Amino acid sequence: MTDFLNFLIAGLTRGSIYALIALGYTLVYGVLQLINFAHSEVFMSGAFGSLIIVQSVIGRGVHHLPWYGVTGVLLLGLTSGALIGAIVAWGLERVAYRPLRKRGAPKLAFLISAIGMSFFLSQLAGKLFNRFSDNNFPTYYNVNKHLFDIRGVHISLIQTIMIVSAVVMMLFLDTLVTHTKLGKSIRGVAEDAQTAALMGINIDKTISRTFIIGGALGGAAGFLFGSAFTVYNTMGFIPGVKAFAAAVLGGIGNIRGAMLGGLLLGVVESLVPTAPWVGGHTWIGTQWTDVVAFVVLVLVLMFRPTGILGERLGRAA
Amino acid sequence: MRTRPLAKVAALGVVGALALTGCGSSNNSSKGGLSSGGGGNATSYTIAFEGPLSGDNAQLGINEYNGAQLAIAEANKDSSLGFKVKLSKSDDQGDPAKAPAAAASIIQDDTVMGVVGPSFSGATKAVAAKFGAAGISIVNPSASAGDIQTLGFKTWHRIFPNDNAEGPAGADWIAKHAKKVFVINDLSAYGAGVSASVASQLKKDGDTVITQGVDAKTTDYGPISQQVVNSGAKAVWYGGYDAQAALFAKALAAAGFKGIRISGNGVKSSVFTTGAGAAGHGWYFTCGCQDATVAPSAKSFTAAYTAMFNTPPSTYSPEAYDATNILIQAIKAAKAAGSVTRSTVNDQVNKTDYTGITGQISFGTDGDLPPGKGTVNLFIDQGGNIKSLGDITQAK
Repeated sequence: MTDFLNFLIAGLTRGSIYALIALGYTLVYGVLQLINFAHSEVFMSGAFGSLIIVQSVIGRGVHHLPWYGVTGVLLLGLTSGALIGAIVAWGLERVAYRPLRKRGAPKLAFLISAIGMSFFLSQLAGKLFNRFSDNNFPTYYNVNKHLFDIRGVHISLIQTIMIVSAVVMMLFLDTLVTHTKLGKSIRGVAEDAQTAALMGINIDKTISRTFIIGGALGGAAGFLFGSAFTVYNTMGFIPGVKAFAAAVLGGIGNIRGAMLGGLLLGVVESLVPTAPWVGGHTWIGTQWTDVVAFVVLVLVLMFRPTGILGERLGRAA
Repeated sequence: MRTRPLAKVAALGVVGALALTGCGSSNNSSKGGLSSGGGGNATSYTIAFEGPLSGDNAQLGINEYNGAQLAIAEANKDSSLGFKVKLSKSDDQGDPAKAPAAAASIIQDDTVMGVVGPSFSGATKAVAAKFGAAGISIVNPSASAGDIQTLGFKTWHRIFPNDNAEGPAGADWIAKHAKKVFVINDLSAYGAGVSASVASQLKKDGDTVITQGVDAKTTDYGPISQQVVNSGAKAVWYGGYDAQAALFAKALAAAGFKGIRISGNGVKSSVFTTGAGAAGHGWYFTCGCQDATVAPSAKSFTAAYTAMFNTPPSTYSPEAYDATNILIQAIKAAKAAGSVTRSTVNDQVNKTDYTGITGQISFGTDGDLPPGKGTVNLFIDQGGNIKSLGDITQAK
């Protein structure tokens, strides 16, 4: 049971990152009905942006900060990651999507331009920084410190930070979409863009803002991911693919679906290959992690082709 | 109407093919003229380096490329050589899928007489047959998989003890300290191979062994680290490469693992030490390689390398230096014997008996360093610096 809970916590940590990235896919899909394949690079940009800003504020290496200093740096990292992510996502929409949309290009063209932007951004980051995966955030708190440890069940500081910030951001987004005017316009465009325009909603502005919101979440996820692991130019690829799968799992275009899908995928990846959680013995083994994740995706889609909570941003939010 | 686009495509294809063959033949005639006309007395030959010069594993490739550059620079200063050597480079990112293209660009260059590389085992397996067909001699400074020599590559050579030597030596050392060992590999040709040889030797030594694989594209090593802790293993072996091992080291520290952490030559690099930071302190590495900063035979090499690149030589720099020198000596011997061609150079490489900075090197009929030759050394990450602990059979 102890081991089970530890694996569950590891899975929730992984899942909360997937969920934050998945929201970016799902929001854009909701308003444009297309997959923003460059979103993984928004995530990467957020990580690099926050890394540079945090390093320029407190420097590299090891620091001993009081608790309010640590909180301050964490907030700085989160907001700078979100800001850079939002800027990059906004830029993406202007450069790679809007011109195509104005000319009424086919859906396939959007896909190709997104993939092109994805390659461009990740190679640009490789060129600007380096191509090694050794860009670490400075150490300003003991990441490995166990926040609590009850009879062997433990959760570390970094895990807590990841899960809590993800949950807070998701609650914030949920409120924003369900209760604000901006949320209403996003839902309106998602449900029927032309009718929404007739009702006086500025479609271009709404789409732009949707990218910004998705980008901010992705960028903040980049900071969290970078703090826990490391920052490098191709870091977005695997989390991006997994988060896309998570968005489909929960129901693409559905905000709560993306959150659920992300958390579920993380937990499945952590728990299933390591079962039965006793000693080192496993039935499946961690080398099958990706297989397990995608088998679950296929099984869910077989019985619920639109994902667990179903499609469409307009309806379910 | 339907046939029209098809016809166009076909026409385009024909034109393209013509253009390509045209290009090819004109290339051949110009370059061919250079090498065949030169025959035994050309004044310049090329040695090619293939390895990762970009991507996650670029540090190892750069270490080697620098070593090769130094050997070339020294050779070109030596007027008694009678010819100049050029070094060309081809980046395969250490990826078996990218290696064929990297190899093709080397093979197309008719002035290339030998190859230093490919750095990685998977890439080597992907292209060694192509180099063999082209008759180009390969001298491998770092691809350590224990089965390459069994695959019948005609022109392949390796100058250091392979994983079949390194893995068991590492296992014997682990068995002295732990009775239950968690063996993890990254599912790559190198990682899976060396981990299998570690696991089988550990079992022979009477240890309990748990084996698991983790895909090399993983970033979150949380679950596997948790599993290592849960298993109660006293030591963990990681078979894979530096960048991934750094992430694993951090996750392992976060999970609270206190036992011995040891890994192979693929991890022993500055990418690991900087990537893992404090979490990497105390990690051990086995390596059939020399620590150029302490080996007495490598003093002048270390000084020259440091002067040239502003950084001390790192993992596999000395091996690449020796490999390049072996090829230079082979070209020299071939020239002395009358004719420098890819095949005469390869014949000379086969006859190598060379004392380099990494030891005395010769090749068996399978191209490998004969068994029992060469030493496996143990290293440790001490506060972010990799220190040699000497011969692993003697190490504590």
